Amino acid sequence: MRTPEPRAGRGDGPSIPAVTPRYSLVQEGTAATMTTLTKPAPTKRRRARNPRTWLRGGGLSNLLFAAPMIIIFGLFSFYPIIRAFVMSFQKTNLIADPQWVGLLNFQRVLEDPVFWVALQNTGWFALLALIFGYPIPLIAAVLMSEVRRARGLYSVLAYLPVVIPPVVAVLLWKFFYDAGPNGVFNTMLGWVGLGPFPWIQDATMAMPSIVLEATWAAAGGTIIIYLAALTGVAPELYDAAEIDGAGIWRKIWHVTLPQLRGVLLITLILQIIGTAQVFLEPFLFTDGGPANSTVTLLQLIYRYGFQNSLGGNYGSATALSVMLALFLALLSFVYFRLTSGWSKN
Amino acid sequence: MTTTSTRSDAGVAVTADAVLDTAPAPTRRRRLGKKKPAAAGPSDERGIISTNEWSRRGIRRSANGIQITLLVLLAIGGLGPILWLAKAAITPTQDTLRTPMALFPNGFAWDNVSKAWTTIGLDVQFMNTVWVALGVLVMQLVVTMTAGYVLAILKPAYAKVLNALVLATLFVPSVVLLVPLYLTILDVPFLGISLQNTFWAVWLPAGANAFNILLVKRFFENLPPEIFEAARTEGAGSFRIFWQIVLPLSKPIIGVVSVFAVIAAWKDFLWPKLVLALPEVQPLSVRLPQLQQTIDLGTYLAALAISTLVPIVLFIIFQGLFLKSAGMGGAVKG
Amino acid sequence: MKSPIKALTLTVSALAAIGLLASCSNGANPGGGESADGQVELSVVSLIPGTEQAAFDAFNNQVKQFEKANPDIKIKPVEYEWKADTFPALLAGGTLPIVYTIPFTDGQTLIENGQIADITEEVKALPFYDKFNKNVLSAGTDDKGHIFAVPREAYGNGLQYNRDLFTQAGLDPDKPPTTWDEVRAAAKTISEKTGAAGYMQMTQGATGGWQTTVATYAHGGRMEEIKGDKVTATLDTDATKKSLQFLKDLRWEDNSMGSNFLYDWGTINKAFASGQIGMFTGGSDLYTALIRENQMDPAHYGITTLPLEGKDGAVLGGGTLSVVNGKASEAQKKAAVKWINFYYLQKYLDKDAAITDAKTLAAANQAVGTPALPIFDKATLDESREWIKDYINVPQDQVAPFTSKIFDQPLVIEPTKSTQDIYGILSPVVQAVLTDKNADIDALLKQANADAQAVLDRG
Repeated sequence: MRTPEPRAGRGDGPSIPAVTPRYSLVQEGTAATMTTLTKPAPTKRRRARNPRTWLRGGGLSNLLFAAPMIIIFGLFSFYPIIRAFVMSFQKTNLIADPQWVGLLNFQRVLEDPVFWVALQNTGWFALLALIFGYPIPLIAAVLMSEVRRARGLYSVLAYLPVVIPPVVAVLLWKFFYDAGPNGVFNTMLGWVGLGPFPWIQDATMAMPSIVLEATWAAAGGTIIIYLAALTGVAPELYDAAEIDGAGIWRKIWHVTLPQLRGVLLITLILQIIGTAQVFLEPFLFTDGGPANSTVTLLQLIYRYGFQNSLGGNYGSATALSVMLALFLALLSFVYFRLTSGWSKN
Repeated sequence: MTTTSTRSDAGVAVTADAVLDTAPAPTRRRRLGKKKPAAAGPSDERGIISTNEWSRRGIRRSANGIQITLLVLLAIGGLGPILWLAKAAITPTQDTLRTPMALFPNGFAWDNVSKAWTTIGLDVQFMNTVWVALGVLVMQLVVTMTAGYVLAILKPAYAKVLNALVLATLFVPSVVLLVPLYLTILDVPFLGISLQNTFWAVWLPAGANAFNILLVKRFFENLPPEIFEAARTEGAGSFRIFWQIVLPLSKPIIGVVSVFAVIAAWKDFLWPKLVLALPEVQPLSVRLPQLQQTIDLGTYLAALAISTLVPIVLFIIFQGLFLKSAGMGGAVKG
Repeated sequence: MKSPIKALTLTVSALAAIGLLASCSNGANPGGGESADGQVELSVVSLIPGTEQAAFDAFNNQVKQFEKANPDIKIKPVEYEWKADTFPALLAGGTLPIVYTIPFTDGQTLIENGQIADITEEVKALPFYDKFNKNVLSAGTDDKGHIFAVPREAYGNGLQYNRDLFTQAGLDPDKPPTTWDEVRAAAKTISEKTGAAGYMQMTQGATGGWQTTVATYAHGGRMEEIKGDKVTATLDTDATKKSLQFLKDLRWEDNSMGSNFLYDWGTINKAFASGQIGMFTGGSDLYTALIRENQMDPAHYGITTLPLEGKDGAVLGGGTLSVVNGKASEAQKKAAVKWINFYYLQKYLDKDAAITDAKTLAAANQAVGTPALPIFDKATLDESREWIKDYINVPQDQVAPFTSKIFDQPLVIEPTKSTQDIYGILSPVVQAVLTDKNADIDALLKQANADAQAVLDRG
């Protein structure tokens, strides 16, 4: 049940979040057989009860080494997590004492018409991100894995957009997306007689435009992950397939893809977890517009907590955070069940 | 990157292992599943297409054709926007507005760059970004190294609990933390002070990174325990072992954690935006969206270009490390 | 510790208990601020960060003068500038000083949130209390008549126009449009002749709703109706429909609004200052921001009054309120109102104070003489303007179309209940009208009105 989760950006990006090495899944795993296989034999050490033995046994220095982790995680991870749950049942303005309000915060969120729009938009973003962002890196990675010369150049080029700070990338694309005939994209499309398109100035086009940028920004990272996985496919499997008379396509279909299914599943779930927390792109591109067509759940949390009512509505903000977190935890659970299913096969 | 596993679902783990492989003499490595014998060797010896197939003209031609097309597409997508930004940074505003795709129709505007740097005060935010990134790096190294040492090598009785707790935070999406962590920064428990508008507000929470602890712990578990046993029998204490044995052996994993830390810090937006409200302490990523409201377009695009320069230069210098880390985690964007 | 799961459950529940205790005990901080010798320490906002030293010297002189007159108060100045994107963080951070300033728009929200102090008693005790323009004072007053904020300066919304674009389009910048039809015609001409957007309106965040309210007031409508305890949302009146239909016509029939429609206060100012927008509605105090932040050529700036229609046509007012932090102690509240009187109000009432203030502003490169509305009566304002006429640096003939007529226009403040929420509900409607050719104004407003009513009903 060790689920990786997008960590790096405090949930403000779609893209491909941190992938925990699958080792960790099994290493602490439930299946006893696995554990014996993977866990380094624990050095048996008697628990020291006497303070002096404890000290001599390195108890104090152990504690000193554990201290940074305990303090930092305690203050900046566990305390806020618990506080989130507490606050979701409270009303607070940071000046008067917080009041318990039961489920009122949750009710408020569910009654907010924008919540349902945001939910729909976030789902739409996730779906579009899958349609754009899932096959392209895979195809690119498979093609790149066959490159014999200057493969490094391919990787570097593919990875460059990932290196550009996301804020810069979005602001740059925002300029590219200028809806006038002199916009960068509209100028280029004008050369072939297309456009001008409204891009992010139109309720229908805004979300796909945003996803296009997000895909551009994230694809490189996914390509590199797939490439790494592709180099892990044992050549013997291809040899064997060839003996059976398989051509290139059949090898891809029967060897490559099945070999990648693990990593494909991981990136799939992680991409969904990441896109459910998308913030940066819609916030900077359109601030949720036009006409709420790109407002997302995380953006709504931000509005509740920090924007609309001058930072007043912490109750609704935490209530929505908790609901989103529970949903994501559920996804993580499904992910765990699925992956443990895979490892049994 | 040499790999050996045959497990179909261990793709990512395999690459993680590739990094861990750089650990000195991992004599007691354990694997999940069967160990695959002797598949090591240059992985590009063969891929999907066999040498046999390569020798066929049709296949070679179309493969080459596809690969050249791919290269061109990657160049347009990867390099294009950066080159355009570099051009726009030194183009007069009106030219960029009217003919964004023209190459310097009316000469250059070098002063965009100097204006962005001095008049707008971008130098301040630039240095702030550097400080934020360095602080995050130090914080993450301190926490992950000590934590990894405790969890993987010292292993006191409570290590299991700590391990479980740290791993549990991987389960909790960061979105839950947004509001309460913000309020924690405003009034830190026990200390009763506000860290708002100080770099500590970014540095300290960055230390709570379970993913990196996990990486380091894995790495330490793969170090040969004999070394520590030997050192202990020679009477070395925990601190000496940490300084003189563990840290020197940890260079590869320190490199990986450093890449993750610096990149994440350079890119982070929402969190620093919340806790660093004053321009004097804001990093570039937070300041740039505000600048778009005031400064002249040419200067603004120069500011964007300046902000991109350092990550790109770092990437070009350390590309090997970057790509290796990305293959491991892809934790880089976001 | 047999299993990590068990250990985890135990620890989590222990932590949960601690968390509960911690979050319950984190109550209100006492205001404090009283030093041993009975002196009240009062933190106040001073000038915008980065202001020239000369201005700070002038400010410090005023502080000395105040402390001399009030030996029991010790002033602690803090540099400050209200900015939409940083203010919420400062507010939540609890780092704001005891006296600070906010725009009218935020007054009601802060009152509803209980984040600013009730200063009714102190304000009513001011000798010139009766002179306050009641309309303006109401921006900082709640529905029970309690005063939470003192107006510092007031402005009316007007039609901002770029004189340079007017000239380029062959229009006379000294004869700006006076009816909505003329605005429409001018927008079309500018758009056709110059390629710039002839007319634009803020649309993003709360600003879209705010400026729609401006247009609605000008067409004779209001956003809410208060009868006793009952507040009724009136977002779907003919006035709002007309003002949206106006935008729709300009956008889809005349195509005179350019091609970018997502603007907030900052971005529309920038686009206007750089000549991409011919006309838009905004506060009459915009001059400072346009010139200082967006480097607009002062010669291009023009402002006139909004065309008013219907018998209730009115100008939406705005301005700056000085407020006292909700954390202030009783002693601090008293001291705070004394300071507000001395530093913010006396410049309208006392010649020396007026000149000192104007000198400070001029030294700080700030605009002196932006078109303003009286927070007392017009005679008082005129008199204070006369005192400082040597320091005025805003081109008065370019703002004359506004200043010559604004005092004949009825001034109404913003909706008082759930202001920001209502603005937030209206913004997407404006965006829909501008980005969707088939937007159904009636249906959109009907829905918006229902949403607004729901917000008002839950209070």
